[in-house]
Amino acid sequence: MFGRRSPAARGVRAALTLGVLGLAWFALAFTAAAQDPSGSPAASSSTEATPSPKATPAPSDFDWLFATPLPTATVPLASAPPVPAPLTHAPADGANGCYDCHSVVNDKQAAIAADWQDSAHGQAGVTCADCHGGDPRSDQITVAMDPSNGFVGAPDRLGSVGLCGSCHADVNRMKASGLPTDQYAKYWSSVHGQQLLTADDNRVAICTDCHGSHTVKKVSDPSSPVFILNVPELCAGCHADADRMAPYGIPTDQYAIYSKSVHGVALLDNKDVRAPSCASCHGSHDAKPPTSATVVGVCGKCHTATEDLYQQSRHSELQAAAPQCWTCHGTHDVTQPGSYMFFHPTPPEYTCDTCHDLQTHTLRLELSRFTNEADRRCDTCHHPDSQIYAQIDGISNAITSAEDAYTQAQDTIQRAAGLGMITSDAEVKLTDAKTSLIQAQAAVHTTKLSKIAELSTDATTKAQAAEAIATGKIDESVFRREAMVVVLAFIAFNALFLYVLKRRLDRDLEKG
Amino acid sequence: MAAGGTTDRAVGSGSWIEQRTGVGPVMAALLHVRIPMSARTMYFGGIALFLFGIQVVTGTLLALYYKPTPEAAYESVQFVTSDVSFGWLIRSMHHWAANLMILFVALHLLRVFFQAAYKYPRELTWVIGGGLLLVTLGFGFTGYLLPWDQRAYWATVVGTDIAGSVPVVGDSLLQLLRGGADVTGDTMSRFFGIHVLVLPLALAGLMAIHLVLVHQLGLANPKKPEPRVRPAAVDREPLRPFFPNYLLDEVVAWYVILAILVVLASVFPAGLEGQANPLETPAHIKPEWYYLAVYQLLKIIPRTIAVMAPIIGIGLLIAWPFLDRNPEVLARRRKLAVAGATLVVVGVIVLTVWGYVS
Repeated sequence: MFGRRSPAARGVRAALTLGVLGLAWFALAFTAAAQDPSGSPAASSSTEATPSPKATPAPSDFDWLFATPLPTATVPLASAPPVPAPLTHAPADGANGCYDCHSVVNDKQAAIAADWQDSAHGQAGVTCADCHGGDPRSDQITVAMDPSNGFVGAPDRLGSVGLCGSCHADVNRMKASGLPTDQYAKYWSSVHGQQLLTADDNRVAICTDCHGSHTVKKVSDPSSPVFILNVPELCAGCHADADRMAPYGIPTDQYAIYSKSVHGVALLDNKDVRAPSCASCHGSHDAKPPTSATVVGVCGKCHTATEDLYQQSRHSELQAAAPQCWTCHGTHDVTQPGSYMFFHPTPPEYTCDTCHDLQTHTLRLELSRFTNEADRRCDTCHHPDSQIYAQIDGISNAITSAEDAYTQAQDTIQRAAGLGMITSDAEVKLTDAKTSLIQAQAAVHTTKLSKIAELSTDATTKAQAAEAIATGKIDESVFRREAMVVVLAFIAFNALFLYVLKRRLDRDLEKG
Repeated sequence: MAAGGTTDRAVGSGSWIEQRTGVGPVMAALLHVRIPMSARTMYFGGIALFLFGIQVVTGTLLALYYKPTPEAAYESVQFVTSDVSFGWLIRSMHHWAANLMILFVALHLLRVFFQAAYKYPRELTWVIGGGLLLVTLGFGFTGYLLPWDQRAYWATVVGTDIAGSVPVVGDSLLQLLRGGADVTGDTMSRFFGIHVLVLPLALAGLMAIHLVLVHQLGLANPKKPEPRVRPAAVDREPLRPFFPNYLLDEVVAWYVILAILVVLASVFPAGLEGQANPLETPAHIKPEWYYLAVYQLLKIIPRTIAVMAPIIGIGLLIAWPFLDRNPEVLARRRKLAVAGATLVVVGVIVLTVWGYVS
């Protein structure tokens, strides 16, 4: 169409080549940007992977207690926002103009400044500008608190979580202090975090509600609100407030119930830091109630041996109809277990649907029957005419007879000690019996009569051996007292003889 | 004399023993002690001597089995109590005789004080008696640690701490008592050595002097002071033979004490708490009853004063015959001394009971 290699032809060819190359380059560039995950500024400085939605927990049999719908398999967790970048400010070289002004400006600010200085942040050199931005080199409000110098003031509640996470989720930043860095990710998986994310609920707890803001202390500091002994009261600050919990339909008596339980008495009264607080079972940053899929593992974190025993039982095989820890022991109201838990004083009412689903004809566990502590008994499910009831009866008899033997031995040893006999050898034997008794009582979780009977018999034998030693000592004491009478009689006879002799000599002396 | 005549019959000039030992005149002299008819000793001193004899016998038997190391002491005491024939009896007798000995030494001291039997010429007898009191208290303190149970260990910690509160010499005294900074096996070693060697020798020596002085000076007349010069020719004070009359009274009193000891040992045998654990402080540590008054005093008045008060008090007590210028012996003629002593006794009893119940 055009002449041989005419200037026009060369021009068109060059334009077409450039166009194709340009399209190719554009295609490559476009494809590369789509694969690059560094779409946000923070991601480039953070080595933390964006948290993926956690596996949703199975529906809990106690979920009906909570009006707030928990994430389920059909409602996945909302994704956590990425970790924001920490605030930056001009290097202060040790200067802290914020503190210099705020410590003297008025009483309220002075108190805040003093709180910060005593806090873990203050001790670690985390200054005001690290959280609030601004220029710490100046104590002039127009400079230090100028937004153009990075001052952000107090962030909102959602922003506050990100602010804390910007440092505390940074592995490199936390390396020196050895603090964990999973709190930020865990928080967004919690009921609190999900409510904040999905419902924009500013009433739920954020970092500063539990840890404080200017008064942050180490978890190991007994004056910290998150020190283990203080945790129940901290949680109760919101969860025992009826007005605050009303929109969620959550009960507010958990703290009151917990404080009377064995766990609560151990932690709050006896100051035993091994006892569980709210966070031990519900989690702290990832706070949410245990579900039926997780409760055995939660209790088993401390009660490891008991969990092993439970896994050997027929109960653990029953899946949906399985009685679990909370079925018999309760949740917040865990009491001291004992042989009283086997039977009601009189058997309860039974109907077919007590144990069976009438539609599917499968076993079922009606949890509402166990709400009251008085109903957490084996015969709530097991009918007196059933074979299993006979087995429970055997277990109950074995445990009770071992306990009776132990109590009897203990009483005999106390009687011997009251008579002044040394009973340390009997007490050592009794300690052996106690160990076997505890093993027998724990073995109830296996629901295996043969195993429980064997351990109970062992405990009874040892208790009887201890009692025999104590009885021997009582017999020895009786013998000593009887022998004492004989010796006293001998002494009295001698003394009387000498006294009579003395009287005669005195009379002779008077006459003489 | 009846006493000499009786003695002559027992070891008469022609007897087998007299011919081979010549002990007759010695016995005659020993058994001649001047005892006024009005003397009322209540036999407290003799009972204290009897109890010391019990302690020597039972203590020797216990020492055959006792092992004075922290590792073995507790078990050896347990062994004696549980496995040795009549070991429980020997140990319980030793325990109760110790308590009774301190009680009767104190009663003897009070009897002598209230009857003014410390006055001329018995001042030195009184001073030696004060030394005997201190040695007896030392026996109680050192012996208490030896079972090495919780009570023994911690009572010794508290007791030596109190000794460490003495001004000026307190630290050195504490180190000396403990054999170091803490109560350890070193403490047990020296307490054992003091208890079975030093103190018995000291007590025997002081007792010998005390008895010689009593023998030489005779017993005091509680109704009138001893004359500075006793012209033998006009001495018409009626006397009581030491042998056999007074000695018989003493032996009857000893039998009564023996009966009390047997009852106490059988009905309230000596116990044993858990083995000493320096890492476990018992809830309420209290010393034995004879130190409870000082223990309670420490709780109510400043420490230094509470520690110095008993020391100064005992010093005054020992020096009392030289401070008391009143020659009278009847109580109604020495009202100040009697009233003061009564007040001190009541105070000590009140502090002791208070310390027991607190």
